[in-house]
Amino acid sequence: MKILSIDTSCDETACAVTNGTKILSNIIWSQVSAHAKFGGVLPSLAQRMHSEHIDRVVKQAINNSQLTINKIDAIAVTVGPGLSIALGVGVNKAKELAKKHHKKLIAVNHLEGHILSPLASPANAQLTMNNPLRGNNLQFPALGLVASGGNTILVKINKVGSHETLAQTTDDALGEALDKAARMLGLGYPGGAILEKMARSTRLTRSGQARRNPYILPIPIVGQEERKIFTYSGLKTAMNRLIETKKPLTKEKVYNLAACFQDVAFTHLIRVLRYCIIHKQSLASQSTGKQSLASQGPGNSSFVIHNLLVGGGVAANVELRRRLRKLGREFRISVHFPYSNKLTGDNAAMIGIAAYFKAQRGEFVDPDKIDRDPRAKLSHSEAKW
Amino acid sequence: MKVIKDNLRAINEAVLILKKGGLVVFPCETVYGIACDCLNPKAVEKLNQYKERPFGKPYAIMCSSRKMAKEYVNLNETAKNLYKTFLPGPVTVVSTGLHKVAMGIESETGTLGVRIPDYKFMRDLIKKFGHSIVATSANASYQKRPYKINDILDNLSEKQKLLIDLAIDAGELPHNEPSTVIDTTLDEPTILRQGEIKLKGKNEVTSRSEENTQNIGKELWQKYERYKDKRAIVFALQGEMGAGKTIFTKGLARAMGITELVTSPTFALENEYRTGKEKLFHIDVWRLEKSDGLKALGFEDLIKNKSVVAIEWAERVADEIRKFDDEVVVVWVKIVFGKRPARNASSIADAGGDNERLISWGVEK
Repeated sequence: MKILSIDTSCDETACAVTNGTKILSNIIWSQVSAHAKFGGVLPSLAQRMHSEHIDRVVKQAINNSQLTINKIDAIAVTVGPGLSIALGVGVNKAKELAKKHHKKLIAVNHLEGHILSPLASPANAQLTMNNPLRGNNLQFPALGLVASGGNTILVKINKVGSHETLAQTTDDALGEALDKAARMLGLGYPGGAILEKMARSTRLTRSGQARRNPYILPIPIVGQEERKIFTYSGLKTAMNRLIETKKPLTKEKVYNLAACFQDVAFTHLIRVLRYCIIHKQSLASQSTGKQSLASQGPGNSSFVIHNLLVGGGVAANVELRRRLRKLGREFRISVHFPYSNKLTGDNAAMIGIAAYFKAQRGEFVDPDKIDRDPRAKLSHSEAKW
Repeated sequence: MKVIKDNLRAINEAVLILKKGGLVVFPCETVYGIACDCLNPKAVEKLNQYKERPFGKPYAIMCSSRKMAKEYVNLNETAKNLYKTFLPGPVTVVSTGLHKVAMGIESETGTLGVRIPDYKFMRDLIKKFGHSIVATSANASYQKRPYKINDILDNLSEKQKLLIDLAIDAGELPHNEPSTVIDTTLDEPTILRQGEIKLKGKNEVTSRSEENTQNIGKELWQKYERYKDKRAIVFALQGEMGAGKTIFTKGLARAMGITELVTSPTFALENEYRTGKEKLFHIDVWRLEKSDGLKALGFEDLIKNKSVVAIEWAERVADEIRKFDDEVVVVWVKIVFGKRPARNASSIADAGGDNERLISWGVEK
């Protein structure tokens, strides 16, 4: 199934053509160059920017896919969450295309796109039967983590399209917190990707030994992971204080402060994830009802999580990937990231992937009824585990 | 194309070629780069041809000193600090350009990246040349990072090879990463334009925790709630990053009876929370380029509809808010960090334990 998808949820104007889970084209118009980033760019007037670029981006996506619009089966578009005026541009364009070319229309949640982005494969990929990521073959329930500039959320994926929220941020998204820390260090904004580079510079001494970071920051809600929240406000405060006491900053100090902040921000994320994985037992008992509770002994969970899907801009961070893989090994969970960093930041190809599964379920919308939903939620229920 | 060793003679030869509008492949502390005269439009066109990149994708320039850089860009405080800390070195600092360079080097929005190489040979070369050069990595687009001359040549078409006039060979370079690009233009001090915010009377309290800050949000709501549905109420929040603007808004929302989770609007620019009939608009203008960005977010309609609005970094859009002074209750709230702890904050307790904030509020004079 060939889908043309559009995403204008925030700063990027994006359009893609996908065939099933294969990506035929993936065009992202962005104000900044190709440098990896997960904070967003200056969106002086997001709406105007999107309006100016959307036609060109759509055209290029179709051209690059080597298809014509006639060969496209459906149009998909992000309806939320995102900036209202920005979303409107994409929704209107999708509506217009669907009507003009008599295509079916699919409304997609931006976060679901991020969660399913690891399922994408290149146009020329050979999908073998035993590839665990062959969409429908993925074992459920799985975990989904989105860590981006706009969101940080952990969900249980019962099956594609059915999510329960396990933990989410109560203040800043992870990418946003990293961007802000970079800004406190005078590294511009958004500087999350720069922070990562600076942090890397500290890891080894000249003799190749791992170096001990001279700075300490408190791990957010340490020991209270049962609250199942991500929070960075306290860490930001502590960082602000720490920087104050270390001024004037030298190159070495900036490297160490960057490394320290990133380390603690990730440690917090991993600790909450670990808590949720360990306590999936109680989730199992609650979500499957009373009967299964009786049949369960301790340490004998009624389901096993085999997969963790990770999406969002911070999924491009090498250190975070290392830690998530390590956590995965500990619990025998395979951790899946998008095959290309172009799929971690905001893009439309991931919207096409999510739309493909929705189309299989027959979830289409009437072009006259589609509307943006800036505060769209991924799931209506929060998992009680 | 001529290949020569990196000796003093090479500097003279490279300068001659640059002056004639030629392309020179050069070594530095990151990777092999390719350069041309930044003032010569024909040379820049040649570089575009070589890199096979469309006109309009910006380049960075390379200078021999900060003094030279100031001829091409306007350095703000953030940029000055970065120059002091990281340059010369593998960092490209993006500032507002002075439009001295040839077309197509600065970005669409007029910004320009500058780098000072931590490689004496190149600084000497640029100094001798007398002005800045446009420099980019010497690999053809999408090819591997060039650490040897052959890394470049092996991946070039014959046509591309002909475009290079001179290559300076310094052998295999240490495998360092390309330079980090830091954009400082969002840190422009727009606040100065907007004039100082002077409040009638002075209300000030100390907050010692996030809970305290939330409670102050709650109290301020109770104080101004009487204007609800009669006029729009704007809580104009000021405070450094991490001061607690979002935390304050959480308290405000809770007092209004909103149960939805209040999170930072920095990325989305605007969040809207709704519980039953209660509605709160939560805006962050940190990323807006100009104060008229607030208009684009539909601020006027919010005022007309007598909405309750919390704006973070409000001092950046003070002008825009003031326009509605007659019809709106604007409560200015400023959160500043308490005095620095006397001891050196090196332990966990010190670094995290000191949560003191001074919160002051009032309406403008």
